[in-house]
Amino acid sequence: MTLSPVAKAKETYTLLKDKILNWGRAWSLWSVHLCTGCCSPELMAVSCSRFDAERFGTLPFPSLRQCDLLFVLGVVSEKMAKRVKLIYDQMPDPKYVIALGDCAISGGLWWDSYCVVQGIDKVVPVDVYVPGCPPRPEAFIQGIMMLQKKIQGKEV
Amino acid sequence: MPVMRVKFGPQHPISGHLCLALDVDGDVVVNIEPDIGYTHRGLEKIAENRNYVQAVPPLERANIVDSVHMVLGYVEAVEELMGVEVPERAKFIRVIMAEMSRIASHLYWLCLMAVAVGLETMLMWPINDRELLLDLFEMYTGARITHSFFIPGGVRRDLPQGFKEQTFRALSYLEQRLGDYDRMLYQSYTFKIRTQGVGKLKPQEAIKLGLVGPSIRGSGVKVDVRKDEPYAAYDQLEFTVPTGKVGDSYDRSVVRLREMEQSISLIRQALERLPSGPIKAPAPSSAPKGETYSRVESARGELGYYLVGDGTTRPYRLKISSPSFRNLPAMGYLSKNVPFADIPVILWSLDLWPLDMDR
Repeated sequence: MTLSPVAKAKETYTLLKDKILNWGRAWSLWSVHLCTGCCSPELMAVSCSRFDAERFGTLPFPSLRQCDLLFVLGVVSEKMAKRVKLIYDQMPDPKYVIALGDCAISGGLWWDSYCVVQGIDKVVPVDVYVPGCPPRPEAFIQGIMMLQKKIQGKEV
Repeated sequence: MPVMRVKFGPQHPISGHLCLALDVDGDVVVNIEPDIGYTHRGLEKIAENRNYVQAVPPLERANIVDSVHMVLGYVEAVEELMGVEVPERAKFIRVIMAEMSRIASHLYWLCLMAVAVGLETMLMWPINDRELLLDLFEMYTGARITHSFFIPGGVRRDLPQGFKEQTFRALSYLEQRLGDYDRMLYQSYTFKIRTQGVGKLKPQEAIKLGLVGPSIRGSGVKVDVRKDEPYAAYDQLEFTVPTGKVGDSYDRSVVRLREMEQSISLIRQALERLPSGPIKAPAPSSAPKGETYSRVESARGELGYYLVGDGTTRPYRLKISSPSFRNLPAMGYLSKNVPFADIPVILWSLDLWPLDMDR
């Protein structure tokens, strides 16, 4: 079966649109500057001179209305979990979440604490998990690169 | 115009994990109410459910930028309760690590202070220099910021080969960089105009509010646990306690810069005078019945641990008196009838670290 020229053009357009949009999204991941726990000094190290996550297009940005990436930086208490949900809801689509540190993944060191959420995936959907307490900057950057691969393989 | 309530944080690049409820009248802040507890983890309860050595890693996370001092205070309290005498070499190693942690913490503070006044270049410089110290920590302990390296009785391992030389190299580089910071930030017009006269605190007021650490020393009150009640090997080393004159945000910043210089000299002295011998004394696994209070001078000020033992392997009660929590009242006191733009400057001149505050 051969496609008509119009259908062919349409298909090419859809394919290209997906590719271009995903390429753009993957390389301009602006992250919300929300510190929930003690991984925040490592975010500072990652976004500054030596490790420089801006090479991969990730930049902590003050306004969450223009962000598409949420770093959950470590331990999330019950009080902070409400804020995390609120901030996630306010971000425009498409949005991605990276859970950093053992505490954000499963409660980690605070497994028997009375006020810590045991895993942030109970509150917001998570795309990439980065283990470590706190994760090294290299692991941090690997998490970002994994998310970029995930975005580029996805249909719009 | 009616007074409006604005929430500042926790999603804000300057406030970190802290939330401040501000009552603003136009651009003037009338009243301020700190809303803390966003990172509360129940540390004191967790320490009761761990044995004396297991409690070290959770406690360290209370103040991750200055993690060495968090552990040092706890370990000193446990040793006092158990009646363990620490070997001389371990005491000197503790001083070296504690002072390295103090410099790392002050450099981290310097970045945030520079961002608070709007100088982005100074965000990049100190954080890159802090990596030098983190490299040294990594060489010695294997971890960048969470070492869990002190245990009741001493330290875990001896200094590795080549550590001394690399530390001396890093210190001479840092010393030169501190001069750069002085010229680049402290003498700059922008920094002076944003910090001089902002958040002025007289010595009497500072004492009345119960401030600790560089915040009270900026007002000219000479209080330092390292001098007043020496722990580890501080009684064998020479250093001065820098103080400010006016008590504004600028003076508090200058005190921290001078403290870094003193820390560099302390590390040099400790490395040169490092005695040989064992690094660890045997410590029992359980503490006898009794109570103790130990304090250390952390980067943010006096850090106290109240520890009660009941004869078992776990603490009966552990109370942490953290420096950030003790400096918090000054935030409310200083933020009355000031412009909104001065709030980040006052906040960071007190160096409040919310994780330490909430515990």
